[in-house]
Amino acid sequence: MVEIFRSVINIISALAIPIFIVVFLGWGLVKKVKVYEVFVEGAKDGFNTAVRIIPFLVAMLFAIGIFRASGAMDVVVAVLSPVTNLIGMPAEVLPLGLLRPLSGSGSMGLMTELMTTNGVDSFIGVLASTMFGSSETTFYILAVYFGSVGIKTTRHALPAGLIADFFGMLGAVFIVRVLFGV
Amino acid sequence: MLNYVWISLLLIGIFTAVGRDINDEVTNTYRNGVPVTAQFETLKQRTSVRPAYNGEIILSAASFNQFYNTSAAQLQQSEIRQTAILTTLTSGKQKLEIPISDATPAFWKEMAEAAGGKDKLEADVISFDNGKKEIIFTMERVTFVKIKAVTKAAIEYSNTAVTISLSLIGVMALWLGIMKVGEAAGLLELLTKVVAPVTRRLFPDVPPNHPAVGAMIMNIAANMFGLNNAATPMGLKAMEELNKLNPKAGTATNAMCTFLVINTSGLTLIPATVIAIRAGLGSADPGIIIGTSIFGAACATTAGLIAVKILQRLPRYKKELIVEDENAEVKNG
Repeated sequence: MVEIFRSVINIISALAIPIFIVVFLGWGLVKKVKVYEVFVEGAKDGFNTAVRIIPFLVAMLFAIGIFRASGAMDVVVAVLSPVTNLIGMPAEVLPLGLLRPLSGSGSMGLMTELMTTNGVDSFIGVLASTMFGSSETTFYILAVYFGSVGIKTTRHALPAGLIADFFGMLGAVFIVRVLFGV
Repeated sequence: MLNYVWISLLLIGIFTAVGRDINDEVTNTYRNGVPVTAQFETLKQRTSVRPAYNGEIILSAASFNQFYNTSAAQLQQSEIRQTAILTTLTSGKQKLEIPISDATPAFWKEMAEAAGGKDKLEADVISFDNGKKEIIFTMERVTFVKIKAVTKAAIEYSNTAVTISLSLIGVMALWLGIMKVGEAAGLLELLTKVVAPVTRRLFPDVPPNHPAVGAMIMNIAANMFGLNNAATPMGLKAMEELNKLNPKAGTATNAMCTFLVINTSGLTLIPATVIAIRAGLGSADPGIIIGTSIFGAACATTAGLIAVKILQRLPRYKKELIVEDENAEVKNG
């Protein structure tokens, strides 16, 4: 069952982009749109959008960089671990949960390390990969998406995003405990 | 909130770094100025006017750990054999140069990094007895490790931010071009009609046939199928369209926050990166986490959507949406 689901998704993922291009440009042709001209017109914004993101991403990433390099994560983990122990989250994966919203490459490294030291198919290995797979780099997305349209007052996006991350982690711990629990 | 989180990351980071460095200085974690006694086996005499050798420092793991107060877990080998080059200066003083390699103990690697990111450590030789093969030396001073690391990170991450942004140009241009054709052909509009029943509830402030809806749907679909290259440009296109409906430039609307939360929850049908890494590490069943990841992400999305809808009703966030009348201000001023 899982196998079929996986292969179907894999096929869709592989074909999606070519089909997408054909459908969009083909439809344009049918509707007598000057496809080449309109494409170039749209593509022109690519540069501006990318450049507009720079200050937002610099602000976000350098703060995250300082936080990570200082080793402050160890301190936060020490403070939080009594709380997370109560909900059945192993102390080993707490740093991953904290780093996940901050840094994509950093948390990927941490996940790989957890799987190497504890075994890929161990409880912690499965939990770490589930936690990584069921969340996104919230701070990065916030900086890029809001940065692209010059939004500085982000209102409730960050608290809501962090609440989502928190429940994602809880959900991951819960389901992995139920299915692969020790 | 972003303001406070941002400044907290910075201040906590810098204060922790300073605190740790002061602690290192007080407890002398890096044993600055304390002499090390080790065996030195000369392997080859170097062609030089004064005595110079290529050799190996030999030190048992136990005495290394005792000296640096490190735990045994950090060392794989029971005996450290570290290549080193011994030279004699014109003054008669002898110097030891320790090139950093994979076999170098992690603690020494860390010290070399802190000593200026060099690929070697230097030491002053106090005494060397070639007959007894005994060497006594002091390592170069290592100070302000964390503060240096923080400074380096600040600069490196700023550069990374620019690299990431610029690397988006190509895919951004590609997808924005295709989307523009779709828009001109009326395909986006068609798509929005199909999904209108869902989007009307999620984004009540966005007219159901607005191009923003089409872009958002395509972004969410691309995310589901793990097409990251396509998802970001479509998401940014959606933000651009949503911003056209924004009465107050520079402030996020409710629809934007909702859209962001859907994105940060990361609902994916196939977490391709994780599966690849698991396969690489030799998992018996790399795809075992597909189901659990979908469950986790579904929890995140649900909680996020509930949170965003509750939070947007709070007075403090509602207040930020009010557009101040600029004309009135001009009159008063």
